[in-house]
Amino acid sequence: MNEEYDVIVLGTGLTECILSGIMSVKGKKVLHMDRNTYYGGESASITPLEDLYKRFNMPGSPPDSMGKGRDWNVDLIPKFLMANGQLVRMLLITQVTRYLDFKVIEGSYVYKKGSIYKVPSTETEALASSLMGLFEKRRFRKFLVFVANFDENDPKTMEGVDPKKTTMRDVYKKFDLGQDVMDFTGHALALYRTDDYLDQPCIDTFHRIKLYSESLARYGKSPYLYPLYGLGELPQGFARLCAIYGGTYMLNKPIEEIIIENGKVVGVKSEGEIARCKQLICDPSYLMDRAKKVGQVVRVICIISHPIKNTSDANSCQIIIPQNQVNRKHDIYVCMASFPHNVASKGKYVAIVSTTVETNDPEKEIQPALDLLEPIEQKFVSISDLHEPTDLGTESQIFISRSYDATTHFETTCDDIKDIYRRMTGSDFDFAEMERTKNDIFGDAADQ
Amino acid sequence: MDSRYEIQRRAGGSGFSGGSANASPALTGAQSRRKKMPPRPADYKLQIIIIGSRGVGKTSLMERFTDDTFCTACKSTVGVDFKIKTVELRGKKIRLQIWDTAGQERFNSITSAYYRGAKGIVLVYDITKQETFEDLPKWMKMIDKYASEEAELLLVGNKLDCETDRAITRQQGERFASRISGMRFCESSAKDNFNVDEIFHKLVDDILSKMPLEIPSKELSNSVLSLQPEPEVPPELTPPRARCC
Repeated sequence: MNEEYDVIVLGTGLTECILSGIMSVKGKKVLHMDRNTYYGGESASITPLEDLYKRFNMPGSPPDSMGKGRDWNVDLIPKFLMANGQLVRMLLITQVTRYLDFKVIEGSYVYKKGSIYKVPSTETEALASSLMGLFEKRRFRKFLVFVANFDENDPKTMEGVDPKKTTMRDVYKKFDLGQDVMDFTGHALALYRTDDYLDQPCIDTFHRIKLYSESLARYGKSPYLYPLYGLGELPQGFARLCAIYGGTYMLNKPIEEIIIENGKVVGVKSEGEIARCKQLICDPSYLMDRAKKVGQVVRVICIISHPIKNTSDANSCQIIIPQNQVNRKHDIYVCMASFPHNVASKGKYVAIVSTTVETNDPEKEIQPALDLLEPIEQKFVSISDLHEPTDLGTESQIFISRSYDATTHFETTCDDIKDIYRRMTGSDFDFAEMERTKNDIFGDAADQ
Repeated sequence: MDSRYEIQRRAGGSGFSGGSANASPALTGAQSRRKKMPPRPADYKLQIIIIGSRGVGKTSLMERFTDDTFCTACKSTVGVDFKIKTVELRGKKIRLQIWDTAGQERFNSITSAYYRGAKGIVLVYDITKQETFEDLPKWMKMIDKYASEEAELLLVGNKLDCETDRAITRQQGERFASRISGMRFCESSAKDNFNVDEIFHKLVDDILSKMPLEIPSKELSNSVLSLQPEPEVPPELTPPRARCC
């Protein structure tokens, strides 16, 4: 404190840490603070288990059956990384991969008429799958070949489809695809959470299908990666990058005031001292009066002592419950990881159910998902407000991030990061901006 | 006799059994160039972290070990992720990855992730600064919370070259270490290059003695990935084929 910085960042969620890392690598002087004693903010993994119980106001401590508290790292928001997605790209280009180990999620499942079915990841699985009939599969394959070859710059590949005008509904019609295939494509491949996409231009859906199949092609089994020790490792990795390039870190720092003069941020006050800055980045919780609520997400963390039924005893998986299977507007997701991912003690599994809240009884809304997990040893329910900034920072130079949404991966988080970058610098985000500019590994060059 | 020599004799006899293993890599750079063969890959890759309060000499100890240099005027470390040094012990080639705190200890903000993969932890205090010794329980708390239970611990009282300003006795250091199961203790001077090699070699030796002789191969289905950029894979036509990890 009592110094001048280029950027002050408040909150150590993934969004803030990635931006912090980018700014520091670019040569900006960064001060990064968090009111919590831990990294990660809303995207943290809570450890030990005792702290999770405390956070959710559970009476007493975890029972002995939960094993050692320090073996647990429980995510607050359930997400996976698309293996060919933007976040992995950021991790690779910044080499934050040095600090992380990953495992492939073992499989993705989709709920249909009360049971769950594996989303095929191989030719064999696809042939055997009962998610669609044999003739539908043939038509579906033709459609997928079309999407894979679709090139917006080559009219020969477009077969009369206008990427910016033809709706997805019309594309489905063109290939004579029925409801089963439409549901599967929209919700299990393109990972839309509603059916609104049907009347939108098809190009976005094509991109999403490509992202899915490219991600699946990387490691087989599923398109998803998960970091050992939980999602909370991700913000920490980027924070380290920021620190290596000179960023200063202060946890457990209560923020008293954000000082604004003539409509522009000039500094931050904490514990009687003031740090000055030219720009400020923060999550909505540090500036509630410049953010608005745009919805709610219900998340239920479930600790179970058994793998999920009908997943071939997978130690990790995703389950998609499409909205029309349970009479809703938004899909429900279940993300599950376990002991081999260092998120739970031996023999335990952590399954997190989440969805956008639609009624005033959110816990009832996710009951179909909870039924898939029974018996549940312990549940932790949270209903979180989602926020978006109302102040985009043009005058104030204050850049507020969006809350982590109910989508099942980090693409929207990366979109927010790119958007904030553009608001801050005036230029479009380029992944190359994140490359480390200096060498920071020293010593023997042999077998690096 | 010069009191420093006495200390050296005493230090030589305690904490460490036998002499220091003076290690050198199996193939020097010049030899490998002459032979035009790639150096033998390391048998083990070990992650070592150095922690302790600001200014105790963590980076100096690391730099003395990896580069045999000492920087008198250097302040808080910026720009170092980790340093690599290859040593040979027990006939094995070991690649040590020694991590720096990146200055995050300054305001007690070291990430929990920093402790995770460490096989060896060097906990450093400054023998001339009382408060750095008093900080030790705080660091132990972090180790207990986040580090692997199998990690080898080593307590180091640094800045032995400043004997005249000593504020913590050797006995105090020994007593602290003795209360923690498996923690070794020694004093060192990065500036004078005293006991530095010994610290790391002893630590590595302790780690090796606990490791299984053969590294078991992991099951394919449970394989851990450290993401590397993959060669361009054309998007599969559907349904995509599985590829083994």
